[in-house]
Amino acid sequence: MLFGTKEQPEISDEIVSYDPSTLARGRVRKGEVESLFESLGNRRAARIVRSLPERGGFLDPDAVDRLLVNVHCEMQRMSEEFQHGRRVLELLSALVAAVGAKRRLRVVDLGCGTGYVIRWLAACGRVGGRVELIGADYNAALVGEARRLAGEEGLDCSFVVANAFRLAEPADVLLSTGVLHHFRGEALVELFRQHEASRASGFLHFDFQPSPIAPLGSWLFHRIRMRQPLARHDGVLSAVRAHPAPTLLSAARAGAPSFRASMYATRLWGTPIPRAFHAVVGARGEVWERFVRGLGRRAARLDDREGGGAR
Amino acid sequence: MSVWEELAAGFDTRDLRDLFVPAALYVLATLDSAFVGYREAAGRSALIRKGAYYRRALLRGALWGQAAVGLALLVFAALYVLTGERAAFVGALLEAGRRMLTVYVPYALVVLAAFAVRAAPSVDVRSLTSTLVFGPFLFARPALVAAGVVWGFCAARRWDAAALLLFVLAEMLLLERLLGRLRARRALNRAGEV
Repeated sequence: MLFGTKEQPEISDEIVSYDPSTLARGRVRKGEVESLFESLGNRRAARIVRSLPERGGFLDPDAVDRLLVNVHCEMQRMSEEFQHGRRVLELLSALVAAVGAKRRLRVVDLGCGTGYVIRWLAACGRVGGRVELIGADYNAALVGEARRLAGEEGLDCSFVVANAFRLAEPADVLLSTGVLHHFRGEALVELFRQHEASRASGFLHFDFQPSPIAPLGSWLFHRIRMRQPLARHDGVLSAVRAHPAPTLLSAARAGAPSFRASMYATRLWGTPIPRAFHAVVGARGEVWERFVRGLGRRAARLDDREGGGAR
Repeated sequence: MSVWEELAAGFDTRDLRDLFVPAALYVLATLDSAFVGYREAAGRSALIRKGAYYRRALLRGALWGQAAVGLALLVFAALYVLTGERAAFVGALLEAGRRMLTVYVPYALVVLAAFAVRAAPSVDVRSLTSTLVFGPFLFARPALVAAGVVWGFCAARRWDAAALLLFVLAEMLLLERLLGRLRARRALNRAGEV
């Protein structure tokens, strides 16, 4: 059920490959992924990979894409149940108001998958100000599905196959959900270095919050609500691999020193009970001051101590 | 005495509890099957606005629940005709039903109360209903469904009653899988048409 080490890779990370500069899809040798999981003692992951269709020893990219679209659809259920759109809106509307540019602001969701957060924000229409909502992801199939879904509901948002830091028109606010734990060690600091080098005025990254009960809670949730074995496996592993608040804060500060960064809402109502998700939020200089003022009472939920303890 | 007269004699209609037991079980079965329809549909549509989609899913589940109740009634009728002690059979089922209600009614009340709490305008309160009630209770549902049947059987202790209880148990546990298969078949048919 649980995993021996936090450093186990997730299956969804290993069954796709992209050239980081061109984003061209690479071929993935099925046997190598199987061997990787076998060598880590994760037989369940190896079995799941073994069950995936192949073409000439390489994973069939179309089958992998179909699977990932299904998995993202199932994972959206978690965001819906845990009211994730509203949680993002609470911080994003304050951040957008704090940035307060006269031109249209660009909010970019990095690693957007099928674009749930961006589509939810577009559907609710309460972000405030003049905001352009964009989702960016490396996977063309997920982006295609996000576009299809947004088109079906006539939502005012767009999706691009791109590196969120290399858009022709850069982002003013960067956000993500469940992405940070995919970056391990120095890669996490490097992610924040890209924030520093970008034109963004603020960022807002949500991820699972690690706690002693998180893996069990995640296992229970995924066991009863997810149908795809890959979703069940990666969902639980995500909770195990999630970065604690001090790791996120120190990476944000090391990588993006011109931002003020803080954790938000790690604890429930001031009790020691951890929330399932926490967020690392940051903004540059004067934007931060306006953001904190804009939060009002909710500013008490911010905690910029690397030791944690926010409400 | 005809079969119908015997059946009527088995139920003491002057005792409202005898009518209450099958009526309450029917209401619970309809509620449960509606939620089965919801669960089967959940996680299959990634649209944002899907209130109508879930309403259809609830209705589909409830309608399949009626079919399940109908099948259970057919099995009951067959067993009733076959059994030699019809009044005892009906009496045993009523006692089993009473016991099943002691398991299922509290479960249903907690779940319905959680829905009421979920109406609160707080994301944390709503999330807690998922974490503390819907998740664990859904996880426990198969065991609880079985526990109700076993507890009921302990009162009935008849092969004919046991057969009907087992049939109902199988229906409760397999309905979601059946709905999933029907959906997969519809998807295949649509793909074939394309």
